[in-house]
Amino acid sequence: MGNNPLVIAIVFVPFFTGVFTLLFSNTDRDKTQRYLSLAGGVITAVVSLLLLIQVVEEGPQVYQLGGIQPPFGIVFVADNLAALFGVMASTVLLGGILYSVNCQDKCLSYPAFMPLFMFMQTGLNGALMTGDLFTFFVFMELMVLSSVSLVAISDDRYGPEAALKYILISGMGTLFLLLGIAAMYATFGTLNMADMAQQLATGERPLLAQSAGIMLTAAFLLKSAVFPFHFWQPDFHTTAPTPLSAMLSSVVVKVGIYGIIRLVTLLFTEEAQQIEQLLVLLGIIGIFFGSFSALRTYNGKRMLAYSTIGQVGFILLCIGWGTPFALAAAIIYAFNHAFIKSSLLMLMGVVASRIKPKSAEFSYINGLGGKLPWIIGGLWFIGGMALAGVPPMNGFISKLAVARSGVDDGQWIPVILAVGSGILTLTYMFRTWQNVFQAKAKPEELRVKIKPVGDSVLAPAFLLTISLFLGLYARPLVDIATATVEQLNNPSIYIGVVGLFGG
Amino acid sequence: MTDLLFAMAVGILFAIGVFQLLRRDLIKAAMGFSMLFTAINLFILATGAYQGDVPPYTTNVEAGRAVSDPLVQALILTAVVVSFGSYALLLGLINIASRRYGSVDSDDISDLKR
Repeated sequence: MGNNPLVIAIVFVPFFTGVFTLLFSNTDRDKTQRYLSLAGGVITAVVSLLLLIQVVEEGPQVYQLGGIQPPFGIVFVADNLAALFGVMASTVLLGGILYSVNCQDKCLSYPAFMPLFMFMQTGLNGALMTGDLFTFFVFMELMVLSSVSLVAISDDRYGPEAALKYILISGMGTLFLLLGIAAMYATFGTLNMADMAQQLATGERPLLAQSAGIMLTAAFLLKSAVFPFHFWQPDFHTTAPTPLSAMLSSVVVKVGIYGIIRLVTLLFTEEAQQIEQLLVLLGIIGIFFGSFSALRTYNGKRMLAYSTIGQVGFILLCIGWGTPFALAAAIIYAFNHAFIKSSLLMLMGVVASRIKPKSAEFSYINGLGGKLPWIIGGLWFIGGMALAGVPPMNGFISKLAVARSGVDDGQWIPVILAVGSGILTLTYMFRTWQNVFQAKAKPEELRVKIKPVGDSVLAPAFLLTISLFLGLYARPLVDIATATVEQLNNPSIYIGVVGLFGG
Repeated sequence: MTDLLFAMAVGILFAIGVFQLLRRDLIKAAMGFSMLFTAINLFILATGAYQGDVPPYTTNVEAGRAVSDPLVQALILTAVVVSFGSYALLLGLINIASRRYGSVDSDDISDLKR
């Protein structure tokens, strides 16, 4: 098992693109930076796809930094889960950059925008690929700080306030992550996840390791905006620049999910039962809290952000059930949701960019139907179907997998509740469609001016095409998810591939 | 003795940090944030640096004497850089917010809440 350069390329291509774009200017006329980033995004997406194909065919791939053997050196591991999430992140990144190229937002013409965007992606991919807990923390913090800076320069005038809120709360989460990692290091004398898993599987549990598990769980729940830790999320995701809020609401919240999956399948397999009971409870509360809040909110982007809380609830519910099929359903759900939610947020951004003042508040955008190109409404309709889980979109596949896994497990009541909340999704998505894209208000009733040009719909169309494709041809994704779960339920594969010294 | 002192220092710093972080004054909250990071850095230091008293990477270690753990210091170095970055960013954001809202009280900076 040699070093595979693809594992490191997926992290360093966005990084070097970000550094390289700093050399060029970025204005509305000179878009060199954005085109360079687009090239970087395409390369990242291709690399991630190649990596996924290789991982599925030949098993997990590793890269030892500096050729030092773990647990002494830092190792990057791409197993099925990491590679699948990497493809998800890199494809949505490509969509985000595609949107940025023609985006009219003022913050897009700042020279720091694209580099920060790429650094955020570096943090994201790095956190997914690393096999070392401390490196995970560093990449996590890179992601948080870049996204905070990007929200602070947002066009939305509440940007700094949301950024301030997020950096304080997320900083708290990061502190607990670091404390948990330090406690793990104090207990096991290692930072390598495979080494820790090996020691956790054989030895007894000191109190410090258990409290470390609790701290890590809390930190991951905070990062993925699960119900009691959700309060920063709608503000942050609403005020972010559109390409970024598409990334945040679809991919960045999944890093916490990734951490939780690693926690219950690799590290704390014996305590998994207790963590999973908590996840089921939080998941059900999250589904209803998210859906009802989305129903009564005042802003289109905020509605989608609340909806993310509900969708993350579904994923947690599936992880909580813990059966192999349910875990596969969670992975399928996480993967599919990323494309749907990012495209919907971009569509809201497209609508907001057509009016002045630029805002997605319903009091501004209601009744715009007929003033907007029909394609925006059409794409919103398709995206709404996908989010609510109507065939033939990929949302249907994920909802079906959730319901199927729950029924197999005999969990009737949660399944009925979960499917019932799909009706809520349908309600808020199609009420928006009616009010924004169908209703035709008279010009004097509108509180906004309509601009002749706005952002292009190329990026949401691209992402929705992927989700339609995943809905019509779901077999590969389901197969990969099933194989992923087989791999996850057998931690010795992960431990073996890392190649611990003397192990 | 060192263990006890370390434990007390970490505990006191942590307590003050959490208390300050919950204050309404954002500048105090930022200071609490930095104190919490310091407490955790001390905690990391306590996990390994005093296991032995011989400097690492030296030859001729006498029998019966343990070598100090160098990794924790590398970890703290990284954590200090990270915490410094986020602290600077946090203070910058407080600066922007205080100019825009004319206050550093977190109750006044709440236009998003409605």
